[in-house]
Amino acid sequence: MFELWTLIRFVHVLSATVWVGGQLTISALLLPVVRRGLAARDRATVMRGVGRRFGRFTVVVFLPVQLGSGVLLAWHHGVGFATLAEPGYGRTLLAKLIVVALVMAAAGVHGWAQGTRRAGAARAFAIVSLLGSFLIVLLAVSLVEG
Amino acid sequence: MDAAAARAPKRPLPTAARGRPPGGALWHRAANLVVLCYLAATAVLMPLHAAGVVQRWTVVHVLLLGAVTNAVVTWTAHFSTAMLHAPGPGPRFSALRLIGLNVGVLGILTGIGHGLPAVTAGSGLVLAAVIVAHLVSLVRMRRQGLGGRFVATVRFYWAGTLALIAGMTAGVVMGVGLAGSWHSRVYAAHLSLNLLGWVGLAVLGTLFLLWPTVLGTRMAEGAMRAARRSLPLCAAGLAVAAAGMLAASGLLAAAGLACYLAGTAVGLAPAVGAWRRRGPERPAAFMLAASIGWLLIALGVAIAGALTAAGPEALAGRLSAMLPWFLAGFVAQVLIGSLTHFLPLVLGGGPAGGGAAGRLLDRFGRTRVVAANAGIALVALPLPGPVVSFGWVLVAASFAGFVTLAALAAGLARKTARGPAAEAGPDPRGGRLAVVAGLAMTALLVVVAVTVVNLRVAPDEGGESLTLTEGGVQTVDVSLEAMSIDPGSITVVPGTRLVLRVVNNGHTRHDLVFADGPATAMLAPGESAELDLGEVTAPLEGWCTVMGHKEAGMTLRIDTAEGGHDHGDPGEEGPVDPVAGDAPSAGFEPYDAALPPVGGGDVHEVTMRVSDEVVEVAPGVTQKMWTFGGSVPGPTLRGKVGDVFVVTLVNDGSVAHSIDFHASVLAPDEPMRSIEPGERLVYEFTATAAGAWMYHCGTAPMVQHLGNGMYGALVIDPPDLPEVDREYVMVQSELYFGEQGAHGDFAAMAAGEPDAVVFNGYHDQYRHAPLVATAGDRVRVWTVNAGIERPGSFHVVGSQFDTVFGEGAYLLRPGDPGGGAAQALALQPGQGGFVEFTLPEAGNYPFLTHVMVDAERGAAGVFAVE
Repeated sequence: MFELWTLIRFVHVLSATVWVGGQLTISALLLPVVRRGLAARDRATVMRGVGRRFGRFTVVVFLPVQLGSGVLLAWHHGVGFATLAEPGYGRTLLAKLIVVALVMAAAGVHGWAQGTRRAGAARAFAIVSLLGSFLIVLLAVSLVEG
Repeated sequence: MDAAAARAPKRPLPTAARGRPPGGALWHRAANLVVLCYLAATAVLMPLHAAGVVQRWTVVHVLLLGAVTNAVVTWTAHFSTAMLHAPGPGPRFSALRLIGLNVGVLGILTGIGHGLPAVTAGSGLVLAAVIVAHLVSLVRMRRQGLGGRFVATVRFYWAGTLALIAGMTAGVVMGVGLAGSWHSRVYAAHLSLNLLGWVGLAVLGTLFLLWPTVLGTRMAEGAMRAARRSLPLCAAGLAVAAAGMLAASGLLAAAGLACYLAGTAVGLAPAVGAWRRRGPERPAAFMLAASIGWLLIALGVAIAGALTAAGPEALAGRLSAMLPWFLAGFVAQVLIGSLTHFLPLVLGGGPAGGGAAGRLLDRFGRTRVVAANAGIALVALPLPGPVVSFGWVLVAASFAGFVTLAALAAGLARKTARGPAAEAGPDPRGGRLAVVAGLAMTALLVVVAVTVVNLRVAPDEGGESLTLTEGGVQTVDVSLEAMSIDPGSITVVPGTRLVLRVVNNGHTRHDLVFADGPATAMLAPGESAELDLGEVTAPLEGWCTVMGHKEAGMTLRIDTAEGGHDHGDPGEEGPVDPVAGDAPSAGFEPYDAALPPVGGGDVHEVTMRVSDEVVEVAPGVTQKMWTFGGSVPGPTLRGKVGDVFVVTLVNDGSVAHSIDFHASVLAPDEPMRSIEPGERLVYEFTATAAGAWMYHCGTAPMVQHLGNGMYGALVIDPPDLPEVDREYVMVQSELYFGEQGAHGDFAAMAAGEPDAVVFNGYHDQYRHAPLVATAGDRVRVWTVNAGIERPGSFHVVGSQFDTVFGEGAYLLRPGDPGGGAAQALALQPGQGGFVEFTLPEAGNYPFLTHVMVDAERGAAGVFAVE
């Protein structure tokens, strides 16, 4: 019933959903509740703990799954380095890859800023990471016809 | 800010003169970081521009609209507050202004860069609203402030802001589109108002206070008097210069610029006095001095240009040519000089942090100043390309060095400032700043993504190039598309009278304008116009005048083909090469050479559909051909003298085509006209004379249409044509192989270097599929030489022709008194005839063109006789 490629695409999309949804849940649902309900010290502890776990998930599960399945899907679509320069599908994929790299960098900077107690930078890069993820999803769906 | 302003009045010099911004440091820092980001982007874009990846328009506007406009808005507001002892506009207004400004700037960069007029217009409105609000707030400060002796310098900011509003309007007008010389006039005014007005006046106004501060001396006594005298001269000069440029009066423009120069000189007099008291020591001072030097040089060059340029296009061209070194020398350098002075003060971090940051920013100061200005000089002087590139490398390295040091200084100041305070509760303003910073970075991310998706790697790749090998009157179809013109270049024989049929196939308005030459009107999508360039004797440059379009690649170059067309080495890199002896593919079906006898009826109604077909033309070689009726050659038609042909030509192809029957005698204007894809025409004629007639597409450039397969034969029997056993038709033509599955190689067509010469469209066709006959058969072969350029000499090995009909007459008939026979029928391109002969006994009789080079290239076949 399902082709192998359908399953690989499923894993790729599922993993992305979890990552984007996780960020959204933390910033839009968890953070306001924690802010209202906890003292500053506890708040920082809770949020740092959540962030650390999410970071570990990102590095251990999310990135390997996305990179692995993404490379396989690209190979299946016959995409090579040369095709990335071609207008249309190739360029959109290239833009997506660049934005993914930048969003990952932003997420990394966010984690570092959180760890070194730079609240402003942490917040700024959390926003970049979240909104940038939306952009990645937009670019991803524009790669699929229909 | 209010608190700081309230403390200020008693002091003899405003806080700004001592260099410390009064409060609002958070927004100030954000604004300066934004400036730094744009400067960093400029440093990154400059080498990309040199490599041809990024358009000049983008680099110029990232620097001017991004870095400079942000800096001028922030600092004019700041200095006005300080110098007028006025209450500042408040953090909320400052925040909105910063956000609105950058939404506008990024929107315009994206909108124009990617040809999205709605985005451009919307962002332009946002930007205009921000600038108007800024002007209103500046004027209100004067009303609410305590005034004082610095009012004269603040008036420079008002004048500058007014100039920007006028300059932006000029930019928008160009965006809407202007025809003819008006684009050049408005462009020149746009440059002057924005650069000399918005940037120049803001710099001059600030220098009265900044220069003595940077030198570490006091302000001269007469400085404010000089300011009061300088501004009217500068402002009036600018207005006259802009008016002169709009009126295309070089004299008026030069007078205005000279007046502006005089105003600058008056305003700079106190600065010279300050220098004499204490010479510059720190890099900031050297950079400011050098930048003013470039401003004065630029004014001198512009005045000379306005006096000597012939016409508005030439003046706009000269101003445009000055732009790179003016921007680097004056604008970028004044910005970096000011930031070098102010950043340590703005970044905060207390005296320790600020002092350390200051020392950091002075690192390699003199080296950077010398490198930048040496580089700018190399760029400004008329030197060879590599030297200019080296100049740009020096400039970019120097500027990038500053940006790097500034980023390090920001980190340093922050580290020093971070003490116990950093552990205190969250600062609500800091939180909001973080949100703005996050949104701004995301906006940059979007710009990066949109840019990558739409990036046009090399602007010249947009249109193909076209070479016309014939002179006389030539008409070429030119298509204006989204950010490209097709063809992008046309090479003509010198003296060719070139007529362009220009069609706007884009989705927005475009035009096509030639320097000092004719111009089309602004064309709406789908509109077309004809542009007569007259006799072309020298290269010409044309472009679309809609703002940003020329820079995005909408250019058309007309070259004259002197020194021969460079076709390269034909043997070296043939894209595909048929190998003799290779077999055709499994689906190969030979073109049916057998010609059925003429049918009954005197009227032949024929529908001839033009279509693009990918066909095999030799073993292993497929090409995209333009066909009549789906085959190359097109279908062979046959009739007798006096027959009427009613031909309906339907263009199902992708470009304009036409048809020209050599068998017709009529005015070609209507029946032989070119029709666009989707159109049709009816071509009716009476065949008045016998012959093997050629028909072909007559749309320019004909080498391309013929080289791509648009020809065929129309046979009109002479009266009393005797019956024979077998009749065949052979159309000789040439193939110019392009890439597999693509059109033929146009350069090879133009150079007349065919890869194959063929009968009926396929390499060695009737060797692969011999024509069958029986011993003793009498055979008639009709043959047309469709060219494009090789002569034909039809010969049958082992046979002699007893009948030869060439170009309208029997050259030989059985029973002629000479008792001779013929061995070959010679035909130039565009000629036709027939031969008759008898195949006496069983065997294989090769037939070929006796032009042996071409026989080797595939114009050969076999009669297999049983």
